[in-house]
Amino acid sequence: MVGSNRSPWLKYGIRVPVFLLAMTMLLPYYWMVLGSFKTVPELVKVPPSFFITDPTLNNFYDPLGNKPPNHILGLFQRLTDAPFGFLTFFLNSLFVTITITVLSLLIASLAAYVLAKVQLPGREIIFIVVVASMMVPWQVLFIPNFLTIKDLGWINTYQGLIIPALPKAFAVFFLRQYMKSLPDEMLEAARIDGASEFRIFGQIVLPLIIPALSAMTIFTVLGEWNNFVWPLIVVQDAEHGTLPLALSRLNSTIFSGPGTQGVLMAASLLASIPTVIMFLAFQKQFVEGIALTGQKG
Amino acid sequence: MAISESNVRPDLTKRTLNARVALFRRMGAGYIMIAPFLILFLVFAVWPIINSLYLSFTDFNGVKSGEFIGTKNYERMWGDERFIKALTNTASYVVLIVSLNTICGLALAMALRAPTALNQICRALFFLPAVTSTVAVTVLWRTIFTSADYGLANTILHFFGIKTIVFFSSPEWSIPILVIISLWGGMGGTMIIFLAGLQSISGDMTEAAAIDGATSVQRFWYIILPLLKPTTIYIVITGLIGAFQVFDMVYLIYSTVGNIGGPLDSALTIVPYLYDRGFTRFQLGYASSIAWVLFGIIFIMTMINLRLGRENK
Repeated sequence: MVGSNRSPWLKYGIRVPVFLLAMTMLLPYYWMVLGSFKTVPELVKVPPSFFITDPTLNNFYDPLGNKPPNHILGLFQRLTDAPFGFLTFFLNSLFVTITITVLSLLIASLAAYVLAKVQLPGREIIFIVVVASMMVPWQVLFIPNFLTIKDLGWINTYQGLIIPALPKAFAVFFLRQYMKSLPDEMLEAARIDGASEFRIFGQIVLPLIIPALSAMTIFTVLGEWNNFVWPLIVVQDAEHGTLPLALSRLNSTIFSGPGTQGVLMAASLLASIPTVIMFLAFQKQFVEGIALTGQKG
Repeated sequence: MAISESNVRPDLTKRTLNARVALFRRMGAGYIMIAPFLILFLVFAVWPIINSLYLSFTDFNGVKSGEFIGTKNYERMWGDERFIKALTNTASYVVLIVSLNTICGLALAMALRAPTALNQICRALFFLPAVTSTVAVTVLWRTIFTSADYGLANTILHFFGIKTIVFFSSPEWSIPILVIISLWGGMGGTMIIFLAGLQSISGDMTEAAAIDGATSVQRFWYIILPLLKPTTIYIVITGLIGAFQVFDMVYLIYSTVGNIGGPLDSALTIVPYLYDRGFTRFQLGYASSIAWVLFGIIFIMTMINLRLGRENK
């Protein structure tokens, strides 16, 4: 009886389409990698080739330069209004992402510690306002924040990119909930021993919230690396542009040119690699982080 | 002056005094610790909320300070054909993507729930697009859907004998393309949340049902699905909130072709329209009022989420 409803047909019948779908999921990635290493003649061939015959790095850098129809400028030869071309955008993304992640989580965990563990007049009100602000979408904030940045003269600056991104209400809320579960006795004991609040925070609390902090780190890095709207509004020059802006520029300037798909694919590939490597390296933390926070990147 | 001193034991005064000093020191430290976040939070999260609400009642255009015009911006919206178009487009996008994303995410979680090595690999593959930037993903799909004959989508269509489709100029394809791209990007994340939900369901119940002769379909429908209800509600509501805010894809595909709304405004959704009003036409007052309507929609979703979440506890 039991075996009758576990027929192999049913068991594998569901799996086969899923595995096929998993392969289809990969197809766009395959197309991206393939396109990055195709030569210009191979890129415009009809029907397109599904296996690469003559792999090349010309989409990244073409030593022959712009010689149509078979040679066009590679990715690192474009975006010449930035000091180091595409590399400028890459380094800006790296700098902005790391700075925002470190600073925003530092100030968030300090604030969360106070809201969770320090008796302070007014902390209930602060917590309520922080939680309520989480409901307000960024679309409400970005027009007035743009005006603030403009008044401060921070258009086309790193501080314009970084500082408005620092107060993260969700991080404060999440870390505060996590710290609530730490036993008060431990902290009280340290206080009686004369430890300052800064010491308690640094030596007792911080090591205990590492799981929560690593989950927040992953999502902050991911969110900031991929952030598009805010840089789009506050940065117009190439010098301070981030990777999504570089992609957006290439997307609007060279998309319809013949054989430029290779350059676009190369740019997309380089923009995706860091976060994909981070995911593959911290897969376990990713999955735990999603379960812990209910966020999905 | 000496009276109070003689009434109290000197060491006790000292102790309470010390305790007071310690308390004040702790409070001082507390304020210092919360200050960096609090100041930035007030400047970049609280003040802009107040300012935006004010702007939404003005005709501010970025140049001269706006005049207070009452609820005119909000009244104007209902007569604004493009806004209504954006609203209906967003609604159809939201309904399609949220239902497909939830169904596919659940199906994947069910199919891949056994922790075998092959399943683990498949899970990682499905989740991979979620960590890739939307901008890179959109550029990638744009080359796939290109109308040129070397495009991947049209090559596959040709293989089945279907003629070239000019995806980005065909109004009927605008919403389906957005749905395909975000389904590809989103269902892996949904799957992970469903897998976490499935983990909390004990195997005893489904096994007992299996011994009693329940088929796998029955077990899914009568045991697993009801137990996954809180997870499903969470996914649907957060999915709705996220989908209403779609921007990157629409901007990257259509703003480069000239109209941020795509052919005949067939891809025009709320946030790109807001961006167009605010940052292309600099009608920052009107754009702010659109943002508050969006907030209203999201607020209602959140309230439904909280209500349903409480009922299911």
